[in-house]
Amino acid sequence: MVSIAARLASASLGRSAFRAAAARNVLAPVGLAAQARLKHTSARDTTVIPDFDKYKSGSGDSSNRAFSYFMVGTTGALSFMGAKTTVADFLANMSASADVLALAKVEVDLNTIPEGRNVTIKWRGKPVFIRHRTAGEIDEANAVSVAELRDPQTDSDRVQKPEWLVMLGVCTHLGCVPIGEAGDYGGWYCPCHGSHYDISGRIRKGPAPLNLEIPTYVFDENKVIIG
Amino acid sequence: MASRLLLSNAIKASRPSWVSQAVRPLSISAATQAARSSALKNGLTVVTDSDLSAQTASIGVYVDAGSRSETINGTVHLLEQVALKGTNSRSAKVLDAQVESIGASLDVNAGREQIAYTAKSLAADLPKSIEVLADVIQNASLNVDAVDAARSASLAGSESPAEIVFEHLHATAFQGSSLGRKFTGIADSVQTLTRDDLANFVKKNYTTDRMVLVGAGNVDHDALVALAEKHFNQISASVEPTGLGKSNKFAPSFIGSEVRLQDDTMEQAHIVLAVEGCSRSSPDHYTLEVMKTIIGSWDRSLGAAAHTSSRLAAIVNDNKFANSFVSFNKAYTDTGLFGMYFVTENNDCQDDFVHFLQKEWARLSASVTDVEVEQARQKLKASLRLNLDGPSAVAEDLGRQLAATGKHDSVEVIEKALNKITAADVRRVASEYLWDREIAFVGLGPIECLPDYGRIRGNMSWNRV
Repeated sequence: MVSIAARLASASLGRSAFRAAAARNVLAPVGLAAQARLKHTSARDTTVIPDFDKYKSGSGDSSNRAFSYFMVGTTGALSFMGAKTTVADFLANMSASADVLALAKVEVDLNTIPEGRNVTIKWRGKPVFIRHRTAGEIDEANAVSVAELRDPQTDSDRVQKPEWLVMLGVCTHLGCVPIGEAGDYGGWYCPCHGSHYDISGRIRKGPAPLNLEIPTYVFDENKVIIG
Repeated sequence: MASRLLLSNAIKASRPSWVSQAVRPLSISAATQAARSSALKNGLTVVTDSDLSAQTASIGVYVDAGSRSETINGTVHLLEQVALKGTNSRSAKVLDAQVESIGASLDVNAGREQIAYTAKSLAADLPKSIEVLADVIQNASLNVDAVDAARSASLAGSESPAEIVFEHLHATAFQGSSLGRKFTGIADSVQTLTRDDLANFVKKNYTTDRMVLVGAGNVDHDALVALAEKHFNQISASVEPTGLGKSNKFAPSFIGSEVRLQDDTMEQAHIVLAVEGCSRSSPDHYTLEVMKTIIGSWDRSLGAAAHTSSRLAAIVNDNKFANSFVSFNKAYTDTGLFGMYFVTENNDCQDDFVHFLQKEWARLSASVTDVEVEQARQKLKASLRLNLDGPSAVAEDLGRQLAATGKHDSVEVIEKALNKITAADVRRVASEYLWDREIAFVGLGPIECLPDYGRIRGNMSWNRV
């Protein structure tokens, strides 16, 4: 009379398959314990679910979810910050120390260099030439035909301000230090193998292949900071 | 070959012109004889869906009350057992003899939300069968001996494994609510039940605002109304009329949980998993039906076991994960259960079955295809008409729907609703009901390999972009 199929399954496919399953289960030998699980054998019916009311959340599903996501998000953000700090600490430890960094830049007061004079300073173990050029020297540097040069560069490529020429004092041939205000072109002359540089530091004669190298530098009011 | 055949049919039918050609004449003929409804003086609704070419008449009274309405657990089950054991004017023997003498059949079927009294007879015997039906509903004797016998039988009775797992599923998913109570009643309360408890239940719940009389087959509406007016004269509306399908005021909350009834001496494991579905009157009901059909049902003894359209069936068949499985969508008046019941003797592979089931469920939310949805719609439409193949089925459909929702969706209305469902609808509804939702499940038998709650709940959603 009580048809389980009618109570549980609604469409015909479901119902017939359900009946088939149920029927087979009845016919199949289901073992002793299946018999023993028949109704009311224990003092307490297993369909009586204990009361879990005090564990139930009073608020809705969405606010619980919002709280969970908030906690997950916050934990994630904090963990990320911790990880970032750890990595930053290691990188700081491995990078150059403060005394090394202090030597990386050199500051030169340009007021102390009169027009038409050279100054040689030491930067990262190498000599740097700074020349306060005269107007005549600037004209001379610009007058040179770039096409004739071994390492073609205009003067404006080599200076930020025309009156200040800043370059490494290392001969591009084999690394000697050239002598200032010497040579056939009124610039620098390397005594080792006879390389002549002009007033813009460009190679004009001798074995050196390239112009004198320009370091990175910036002007800051009356100072130049090299490095 | 069969699947290719199905596929081509499904695609053809999706062309509107094709559908209208095939379906329109049917729907017009059905519309001309749509269900008729009227109310008696005492408020009882009478609905008929006549087919005067039939030789038989099926009638039924559906009460919007079941085990959810009882105050003492087990009342309805006991009432179901004794409902046909005689009335005040007829003994059980006389009743049986009278029904048998006209070759009719009388039946009572009770559930969690409905009690159905049905009678079927030859068309000419309708006046007699309705008289008997009215008598057993209004004047059931509920004599003490019959109640005692039914109570003993109930206490000694056995349940099938399917009944056990579904009872526990309701108990744990809807714990603490009337829907979670065991239908047959727990021993402690069944033992206390008396004849008066049954009589009180009938008095309280058998009211005209919560009952409907339906008729199908060779039943003339006006004649049935006249007969009903004469015989259903002892019942009246309740003090505060509620209306059909509205007696359960507080929807139970669905609690994600598990019940494990491990018994390693059993040969087969019976496992049921479900999420909260929708109510019978929800607009999502038919979409869930489509989803149920896509997941499918399968039995290894089926002729086409290896070749059904269900992807899960193919996987389960190839790997012998289960003996059978049934996708279900049980809709109550205010909530529902959507899920899967499976039986397996391949006990090491229970977790595999659950894995592939959850994969299919997840796929419904993410990438269900148009072809699958179309196939499922066609299957549902066919089974809808195939199910309503006789007066009894038509009457049952009328009664069950009316008692659950207060209205009746005809086949045409349901077909229209099904036609509107697209793959996008399925994805939306699946995301709402399945994706990352609470799940309740019950295992009975050798269930060592059934994953625990945390794992199954975790797999209700996957990482995806």
